[in-house]
Amino acid sequence: MDPTKIGLFALAEKRLAWTAQRQSVLAANIANANTPGFQARDIEPFAKVLSGYSAVQPARTQSGHMEGTLPTGSAPLTQNPPAARALDGNAVTLDQQLTKIADTETTQSLVTTVWKKYTEMFSMALGRSG
Amino acid sequence: MEEIHRDVQYGAGSVGLAMANDLNQALNVSATGMDAQTTRLRVIAENIANQDTTGSAPGADPYRRKTITFESAVDQAAGVDTVRVKNIGVDNGDLQLRYDPANPAADPQGYVKLPNVNSFVEIMDMREAERSYSANLSVMQATRSMLNKTIDLLK
Repeated sequence: MDPTKIGLFALAEKRLAWTAQRQSVLAANIANANTPGFQARDIEPFAKVLSGYSAVQPARTQSGHMEGTLPTGSAPLTQNPPAARALDGNAVTLDQQLTKIADTETTQSLVTTVWKKYTEMFSMALGRSG
Repeated sequence: MEEIHRDVQYGAGSVGLAMANDLNQALNVSATGMDAQTTRLRVIAENIANQDTTGSAPGADPYRRKTITFESAVDQAAGVDTVRVKNIGVDNGDLQLRYDPANPAADPQGYVKLPNVNSFVEIMDMREAERSYSANLSVMQATRSMLNKTIDLLK
């Protein structure tokens, strides 16, 4: 049995991958907060990523077809026009980026909690406590 | 039954590994940011320490303010933008002159060239470096807590 085939785990896995990827993009923004000409980036919102993935699932029409082994891939980067630029051309707003970091952390916390609850439900169904 | 339970635990393990990779990259990027800001702070410290350093020979040039610039560097293996120091240069701005004939660095007219360090500019720069450093530190803390939560999935 592959747990990532279970609907909730599959969804949670995608969401966790999304938060981890977003975190590294936001970390790059903050590290470059004083780099001349650098513009902050983000990744596509999760809802968009999710709908994009389900649309391009290859169909297995014969028994000989193999299931893809590639990872779900990473979400495309986005770049919004900056609200303000410093004199050196840098367009990273620290507080905006830190808010996004906090948001990503909260999302990740939510997903891990749901994951653990779901695992607990498995244990419960198997007749164990916790 | 046992199998299902083990598989669910195993699934958490493989997901955790994939997440840990991205999050470790985030930690790495924040570390390069902190490193760059530390170098910047060192340059500021040099400037402030040398704000009264004049030349030693008559008419010699005094200490000149140092400048630092950053650039983003793509980490090819990870595909993320880290940051590094591009270059530590010298500010060729005008030097001030002070009439001080007794100074060993005074030219024949009695003028001494003073460093072009402005302590207000340096202190403002220092504050900015401090702020950027702590922003990187906050990101690192957030990333670490995310890593811990991912590891907690295994428990």
